[in-house]
Amino acid sequence: MPASRWANASSGTVRSEKPADPSPGDSGRAARGLPAYVLRVPTGTYRALNPLTKFVIALSSALVAFGVRGWTGPLSVLVVTAAIALIAGVSRSLRRFVLATIPIVASILLVNAFLYPGATDVLFRVGPLAATGTGGTVALQATLRVLAFALSVAVFSLTTATDDFLADLECRGTGRRLTFVVGSAIRTIPAMGSRAVEIVEAQRARGLDTEGSIRRRLRGIVPLAGPMVFGSLAEVEERTVALEARAFSAPVRRTVMRTLPDGSGQRAMRWLVGLGSIAAVVASIAGRFPLP
Amino acid sequence: MTLRLSAVTYRYAGAQRDALTDVELELPAGSVLGVVGPNESGKSTLCLVASGLAPVVVGGQIRGSVTIDGRETVGMRPHELAQRCGILFQNAQAQLSGTASTVFEELAFGPRNLGLPLGTVIERVESSLETLGIAGLADRDPDRLSGGQAQLVALAAILALGPDILILDEPTSQLDPQGTRLVGEALRRLAHEKRTGILVVEHKTALLDELADRVIVIDQGRLIREGASVDVLADPALVELGVEPPPRVRVRSALAGAGFRTPGEVDALLAELAR
Amino acid sequence: MIAIEIRRVGFTYPGGVRALDSVDLSIGPGETLGIIGQNGSGKSTLVRHLNGLLRPTDGQILLDGTTVGRRHVAELAALVGLVFQDPDRQIFAGKVRTEVAFGPRNLGLRGAELDRRVTAALEAVGLAGTDEENPYDLGYSRRKLLAIASVLAMRTPIVVLDEPTTGQDLRGVARVRSIVAALTAEGRTVITVSHDMRFVAETFRRVVVMRAGRIVLDGTPADVFGEPSWDVLASTYLEPPLAARVGARLGLGSTPTEARLVEALAARA
Repeated sequence: MPASRWANASSGTVRSEKPADPSPGDSGRAARGLPAYVLRVPTGTYRALNPLTKFVIALSSALVAFGVRGWTGPLSVLVVTAAIALIAGVSRSLRRFVLATIPIVASILLVNAFLYPGATDVLFRVGPLAATGTGGTVALQATLRVLAFALSVAVFSLTTATDDFLADLECRGTGRRLTFVVGSAIRTIPAMGSRAVEIVEAQRARGLDTEGSIRRRLRGIVPLAGPMVFGSLAEVEERTVALEARAFSAPVRRTVMRTLPDGSGQRAMRWLVGLGSIAAVVASIAGRFPLP
Repeated sequence: MTLRLSAVTYRYAGAQRDALTDVELELPAGSVLGVVGPNESGKSTLCLVASGLAPVVVGGQIRGSVTIDGRETVGMRPHELAQRCGILFQNAQAQLSGTASTVFEELAFGPRNLGLPLGTVIERVESSLETLGIAGLADRDPDRLSGGQAQLVALAAILALGPDILILDEPTSQLDPQGTRLVGEALRRLAHEKRTGILVVEHKTALLDELADRVIVIDQGRLIREGASVDVLADPALVELGVEPPPRVRVRSALAGAGFRTPGEVDALLAELAR
Repeated sequence: MIAIEIRRVGFTYPGGVRALDSVDLSIGPGETLGIIGQNGSGKSTLVRHLNGLLRPTDGQILLDGTTVGRRHVAELAALVGLVFQDPDRQIFAGKVRTEVAFGPRNLGLRGAELDRRVTAALEAVGLAGTDEENPYDLGYSRRKLLAIASVLAMRTPIVVLDEPTTGQDLRGVARVRSIVAALTAEGRTVITVSHDMRFVAETFRRVVVMRAGRIVLDGTPADVFGEPSWDVLASTYLEPPLAARVGARLGLGSTPTEARLVEALAARA
């Protein structure tokens, strides 16, 4: 009979690939733990540290990189960051960040080497411009600072999942609205990307030229931006209603689901590193920093 | 739980006209009520009003009463409404929280908002996954699902809050035939096995033909037909009212018009094919 | 009016997904073609090759005998008008008239000719007189029709409609059908991508069924929805229209629409 042909079709493709749970939905069953793909416990010595610890390390490094005069500050941060990168196994990815700093670094080097005011110890000339020793030294130090800062930020983002950071913040009492806004902004950006692509396609299909001259492309701003803005605004209202329908405004403390491991050792480390870096900066400003 | 609308008239904030006038309907537990009508007739408004979101979240003025088991929804807070009456819209992606890395976490979003103990949250999530047969999707990224899967996840996310009443506004309009079938089956199971009261707005009268016990027709904010789905969907005036009859009704009238066999024989034939 | 040749076209998305595999399709000038299949079958990917939004990884697309090659989308838009499913992803103007004028304006039209085109397009979709209204005051059904009008005004020899009936009510679907009929009467090629089996069976003379990037059925609605094709249809999780199943059960041959069913009954009587 023809009907049976479609009986199979209606079984769909969504059936579970996992074996069925032995006692689904029975009352009296003890509460089960969270599955591993939700807990997402990070592996690796450095990665397994609490996000706040990693954040304090990154912040302190950045502080020392810029706040301590002389060579020791930036160099020590670079060494520590490189060590962390090795331990955490992110050295290869770090290369991309290093490359990203090249334009800034190049301009700092050139400007300071050739245009440092009042320097007289000329090393060599290029046409009317003279590269000075003093300028060169300043340039090098500035470069190290920028690199140190960039790399400590990079190591933080490479070793800390955004979800983990937000989950930890929530554990520590950040309001649900702030957490939601940050969390959804991060995930909305790719979604906005695909909407943008659709808008561009629809306008190109009506003859909007995105491959021709600059002037022609500029004409596309309103037809491209318009639907993006209206669409996003309309979606905001839909999303607000949908959120309320999921009890977003309930006047209770939101259940904590993922807790990231922490300990007194890490707490101590955070205080030590944090206060230590502040002390180093203060000492440096007061002219009492003992190292070069 | 029974949802009841009595003499409901509703106007959006700042609007010149009423969007709904004198609407009367009852949704008992375990029954499915289909809503049809031309576009811009007030079907979406009906969904917002029936779920209590209008006026509680959306604003506007309402006259008459909307009650769940006798209790007025107007006085409830959004999170109280959410636990009694869930609502699902056309666009699945716009309803997902956008903050979850896995479907499991997406489903946990609602129960967590209620501050339920973690063990209860986990139970609710697993129960919803199982009810809709989507346990296999639990570890997937919600942003990377097909339309039909995303709609099922959105539905599961609503169910995790524990409502006994579901309102759905054109849930299959963006879906392909297979996605439509998945959602239709899920709704049938919910009504029959979980005794969920379901109000569903649809253009696909074929779906309502299979799913709905009763159907109402809305036009210009008013209820103009109401009755058992077999009767309403077979009403010859349906086309004039701006609604497409389901294939079964169209074929039956085509056969009858050609003088072919008695209506009883036609129905038997169609019933045989439906199996 | 122009012919379309799709020769052994394959397409792989940058992420590695093979969306089209060795697709061969010839569409004559003035043909009406409905492309059906589940999401992910490649149907939307295929039609985006017609106006250059996507370029084939293998194979060629020819319009009127010349390959599409690397011609700009803006240039191809004069030949192939593509109406997208979601009107809100294209509507940007504050007035209906401006929105409809966008397409022909991009093609270089101005003045009286432009005005004529816009007015005619609005009439063709049943939106005459709404010129000064804000598109967002129109309601979803009519915005979908507005999107069609904005492409009709470009008077392209080929018109492609991506899911024109989803979310449409009865009146809207009837309007889309009459638009297709009018375009066909003018000799234009009309192609649709659709989930609506009935819309396709009743409005298009040729139906192509896709699955996993390939064409699995190609013929008239009677061919595609007739009993010999049911196994293939089932493999794509599509059901033939009820009229077809009734006709087969009654031994009337292939009757993809109610009208054909009635005809076949009358012929047998």
